[in-house]
Amino acid sequence: MTMSNITLTVNGSTREVDVDDDMPLVWILRDTLALTGTKFGCGVGVCGSCTVLEKGNAIRSCQIPAHEAKDRSFLTIEGLSRDGNHPCQRAWLEEDVAQCGFCQPGMILTACSLLRDQPNPSDESIDAAMSDSVCRCGTYPRMRKAIKRAAAAMQKPAG
Amino acid sequence: MIATRRTFLKTTALGGASLIIGFNGKRIFAADSPSEFKPNGWVKIGEDGTVTLTIGKSEMGQGVRTALAMMLADELDADWSRIKLAQAKPGPGYEDLGTGGSGSMEDGWATMRQAGAAARAMLITAAAEHWKISPNECKTEQSVVLHNGSGRKLEFGAIVGDAAKLPVPKDAPLKKPNEYKFIGRRTAKIDGPDVVTGRGRYGIDAKISGMLHASVERPPFKGAQPKKMDEEKALAVRGVRSIVRTDHGMAVLAENTWAAIKGRAALAVEWSEPPSDAFDSEVHAKKLEAAAHERGNVTRHEEAPAGTPPSARTIEATYSYPFYAHAPVETMNCIAHVEGDRCKLIVPTQAPNRVQKQVAQFLGTSPDKVDVEVTLIGGGFGRRLSADYAVEAAEISRAAKAPVQVLWSRPDDMKHGHFQAASAHYLSAGLDSLGKVVSWKHTKAGSFHNLSAIDEKETRNEDWYRGWSWGVYDFPYVVPAIQTAYVPVDLPIKHGPWRAVFSPGSVFARETFIDELAHESGADPLAFRLELLQGPETFKIGRDTYDRRRLRRVLEVVREKSDWGKKVGARHGRGVACNIYDGRNHIAYVVDVDVNEAGHVRVGRVVAAVDCGLVINPIGVEQQIEGGIIWGISSALGGQITFKNGAAQQSTFADFTVARMKDAPEIEVHMVGNENAKQPFGMGEPPVPPIVPAIANAIFAATGKRIRKLPITPNDLA
Repeated sequence: MTMSNITLTVNGSTREVDVDDDMPLVWILRDTLALTGTKFGCGVGVCGSCTVLEKGNAIRSCQIPAHEAKDRSFLTIEGLSRDGNHPCQRAWLEEDVAQCGFCQPGMILTACSLLRDQPNPSDESIDAAMSDSVCRCGTYPRMRKAIKRAAAAMQKPAG
Repeated sequence: MIATRRTFLKTTALGGASLIIGFNGKRIFAADSPSEFKPNGWVKIGEDGTVTLTIGKSEMGQGVRTALAMMLADELDADWSRIKLAQAKPGPGYEDLGTGGSGSMEDGWATMRQAGAAARAMLITAAAEHWKISPNECKTEQSVVLHNGSGRKLEFGAIVGDAAKLPVPKDAPLKKPNEYKFIGRRTAKIDGPDVVTGRGRYGIDAKISGMLHASVERPPFKGAQPKKMDEEKALAVRGVRSIVRTDHGMAVLAENTWAAIKGRAALAVEWSEPPSDAFDSEVHAKKLEAAAHERGNVTRHEEAPAGTPPSARTIEATYSYPFYAHAPVETMNCIAHVEGDRCKLIVPTQAPNRVQKQVAQFLGTSPDKVDVEVTLIGGGFGRRLSADYAVEAAEISRAAKAPVQVLWSRPDDMKHGHFQAASAHYLSAGLDSLGKVVSWKHTKAGSFHNLSAIDEKETRNEDWYRGWSWGVYDFPYVVPAIQTAYVPVDLPIKHGPWRAVFSPGSVFARETFIDELAHESGADPLAFRLELLQGPETFKIGRDTYDRRRLRRVLEVVREKSDWGKKVGARHGRGVACNIYDGRNHIAYVVDVDVNEAGHVRVGRVVAAVDCGLVINPIGVEQQIEGGIIWGISSALGGQITFKNGAAQQSTFADFTVARMKDAPEIEVHMVGNENAKQPFGMGEPPVPPIVPAIANAIFAATGKRIRKLPITPNDLA
């Protein structure tokens, strides 16, 4: 396996890392850059815990090897807002969504991606966007409410 | 009732004074000298007014940190924004840090409030002395002592030094329910902001200096031996440092997680062939079914009183309950650093003392040399009551002579769990000529936990067998003749507590069979249950007393709130089920399902009523009900674990399927019985057992197909 210094942008900072070409982004984030808000849950793209954003799209960081992550720009939960005040984060708190909380960074970023594409999502759209992710504590009903609350908050004019 | 020896530990903390009240899990703890003072929980109020509550309970999503802090804050009259939580570590002599069995609310109820009330009384006395007035003229609110007459105020932080010099009052009065400020109030989870910003620190997120990362290839079945492996190739992977062979498997240690994973793949261990009698869950299911028809160990026997009408016909059925994995989203993991006879562990565990003891035993050292730091837990559900993954990490660290984090892959977690054990249930009932139930028999065939060895000297009496068959012997209905029994069947794979432990399979069988009897009698299943709950208001069996009035009440509430009698469309059905958990928690569900032509079931709505005693945090109760319902939907309609050749066959959420957003119903939670309640009871487990039978009964209502085996598949219904 070849190794290389690759450059990528995470939460607005450009980072150079010396990793194997095939190291998945989730491990670059967690082990190399110590950004542990992105969780490992399955490693095969079926649970959604490792979700990050790229240009607003939710992607699974366990499925992006280093050589593909090269020169791209990602946003993790740590970079979503300065003080946890993104509308999705606020809605998550206001609806008391989290139980153990482990899957929630991935869930919040998946919801952000949905709301970027569909500012006023139907239940069906929420199901379609969120059902690739696993919450074993069963916070789905509250997440659904939080997504709708965040949608409403994001549609209000700023100020 | 509650031991009330009390003390405080006066400390001169760095930078100033503080007031500290210590207690263990059961009572406020007393000591004649500070050296004897070994609390697993304590309240510390610093000069800056910060109230630090150190608790021994592990947070795994059940909201325990928030609920315990609420109890304390109420009696202390603390300012909620100044409460901080710290996690206790097990120390020698502390055997009660574990979190399981839905026991934290009961454990904390007395001690948190007593500690809060004692501290509050001392703060008031200190302020009153300062003002040279009577303590009776003072009150407290929001971490401030106020003088009623003059309006003078002193912040708690300003008087902790004086308060700490006072004797701890005996029996400081506790608030009356109408004085509660936090208890019963909807309170957001204290860890919420950390969760949504990614700052929450789970086991997997911990690091220690110089730490290596390990991935372990474990024997696929008991007794498997490595036949062939390519160590050279594994060591050639960049970042791989060493390979360690342990009792638990072959560990590949590397500088980062990915290198460890790659090294393990390169090692390509080939294991010996399984023996012909290796564990097979299909064979086991047949054994269980046969065993369920034996007489077994009787756990309850009540003869029909004279004059009971004879049975006109007998209805019987056998139910089959499968293996399940816990599958928390955070896989098992542990950091261990063994140095000489000492060991440092950072571990997401429900059982810090068990971890400490078992690691010490394994290393041949004493528990006080094993330092256990407990992190937030990304899902416990009983899996993290086992210490296996901590012992394994300690073994690897010792062999590698390095600090190490062992992270289980998803397949590792799925295949090497401490599974929910399969069981079989034989039920039979006699109906008289009017369709009234005159006899009831329920025999469970199941397996003892093998989380730790059972003492051979254990007295295997009726009570002992009851301990393995909750949901069987505690049959809540009034039937003239009752016999319940338990038949143990050996199970050679690891199995242990899972959310609601032994209840889910038993309550599935009982509540589905009740529905069968209602159908046979031509009765409405909800009215049938209410009718069967007429009779003595309470009954005692084993250690607990059961209150039928409270169960009737939750049934009546779901009947009303769900609009039970309403007509529903084709292939739509409504089902009901109820349960008393541990004699403490009373829950009833009405479930609406749609079953399509292909046999796919969609749970559309669940109406829940719960009487769990005093509600501390209504949000917490709602969350546990919602979570328990989703958990039940996973086990009714999702995956199971099967075994072939001694190994679990499932490896990810793709083949052990669990409920997703699209499977989540609308849920309504109604809390009842709070008004007269004296104390709270935990809600982690109780919501689970009655949901699966309610779904099964709704499916019967929709399709006429009776569910006697889990999980339910479209083939069963198409």
